[in-house]
Amino acid sequence: MTTIDETELKSMLARAGLPHSPEQVRAILPGAEIVQRLHGRLNAPLPREAEPALTFDVEQK
Amino acid sequence: MSEILTIAEAAKRISSRQLSPVELTRTHLERIRRLDPQLNAFLLVTEERALADAKAAEARQMAGTLRGKLDGVPIAHKDIYETAGIRTTAHSKLLEHHVPAHDAVTVKKWADAGTVMLGKLATHEFAFGGPSFDLPWPPARNPWNTEHFTAGSSSGTGAAVAAGLILGGTGSDTGGSIRGPAALCGIAGIKPTYGLSSRRGILPLAFSLDHAGPMAWTAEDCALLLQGMAGHDPQDPASVDRPVPDFTGDIGKGVKGLRIGVVRHFFETDHRASDATRAGIDAALDFFRKEGAEVRDITLSPAADYHAVGYLLMITEAFTLHAPWMRKHFSDYGELFRDRVALAATMSGPDIVQATRRRRVLCHEMADAMADLDIIVSASQPGEAPRIAEVPKWANMEKPSFTMPFNVTGFPAISVCTGFGDGGLPVSIQLAGKPFSEPMLFGAAHAYETAMPWRQRRPAMAS
Repeated sequence: MTTIDETELKSMLARAGLPHSPEQVRAILPGAEIVQRLHGRLNAPLPREAEPALTFDVEQK
Repeated sequence: MSEILTIAEAAKRISSRQLSPVELTRTHLERIRRLDPQLNAFLLVTEERALADAKAAEARQMAGTLRGKLDGVPIAHKDIYETAGIRTTAHSKLLEHHVPAHDAVTVKKWADAGTVMLGKLATHEFAFGGPSFDLPWPPARNPWNTEHFTAGSSSGTGAAVAAGLILGGTGSDTGGSIRGPAALCGIAGIKPTYGLSSRRGILPLAFSLDHAGPMAWTAEDCALLLQGMAGHDPQDPASVDRPVPDFTGDIGKGVKGLRIGVVRHFFETDHRASDATRAGIDAALDFFRKEGAEVRDITLSPAADYHAVGYLLMITEAFTLHAPWMRKHFSDYGELFRDRVALAATMSGPDIVQATRRRRVLCHEMADAMADLDIIVSASQPGEAPRIAEVPKWANMEKPSFTMPFNVTGFPAISVCTGFGDGGLPVSIQLAGKPFSEPMLFGAAHAYETAMPWRQRRPAMAS
């Protein structure tokens, strides 16, 4: 699971065009860490039969 | 008149001219004046409009031209449902003075059915923040104990129905926003099948997860209200073009022969619900078994998988809608909505594609599980309502939701009360069905409700 720090979050918010204060970045950071955990669940590998014929995964056995 | 009626009872009395819609409306306006200062369920009371609606209903009553079972029934709308000429704020500073030109499709349908509109109800900001204390209006409070949370986002509807301020109201449900407040306020609320009721004119949160549905004291009342809401709308891209069934058609049929699957791991291991919640579910399952249903446990993917897919798509779709405003007015949003939706900035293209892929897999999984079942049972909420001042900022993200699986898949799901916990607040069960099986869900929920004593008990403040 990747982690996210204040500097990276600040950069992501800026890239999305969201004006923010340092306090707001610090307030959002715990939520960003939870989102990273949710991403981790989505990226857990699925067996081929989970998506027959619909997708191609370069590492799927 | 001190008794709080159900819609079904009110409809009978209005139809037989035993009850005046004007008298009923005045009673509810008086209850709002007396109780709402403690509840904050209403953002706006439309007394003049309500009395005009009631007088029109009474004229039809006297002329023998009543429009059906909703004629003369006092209702109110969650304040994301647009109402022509009447302020619609989404409980947000950004829309504090927004007066729409048109009614939402569902608002018009209920008006055409003769309902009496008492006003606009509190919501979490844009149906997602909350409970928030930094908005122009305070959050709604739970009538079973006003120090406690209603859940959301249809918070005002949950509180107003439970306290008997209205007989029914509108909610919207993107991740559980009808079933959550229905559960914590001890009422019934259904998230219908995706596409069954129009979302046009309802301020959106997430296109692919938003559902419009009713909340009321009983499942039967929800059926009556859904009858007045459902139907094809060619201008809602998700709207389904199929005949509207009689949603009360299975009321009174019981549960004999129904096949019920229990996703026990959702509420026992994935996110362990309270003892009272689990005991309430087990007691309901005993009732269903005794009445002739076949009950067995089933296994789905962990609740956390459904939650991850639903939550990440929800914040991404919400950001897609709100980005232009958030870029200009970031600090005008309440902290909870703003900070939750801003998290979409951390999502990448592959994240979104992966969420979409996983959603498809989960939809197939649930459809396969439902193939030889009629109902899937789970909890609606993990327990009784927490204290409103102690709801953690990230609470709705940290632990998997029991309601989100049915937003991800679009299957219909209803929450009904199964009794009370140690704190004296309601606990609940969630019954989900195949797409468009709402009549069966209402029938099963009604069978349970009428066999149990829970519908006889109202919050002390409402008695």
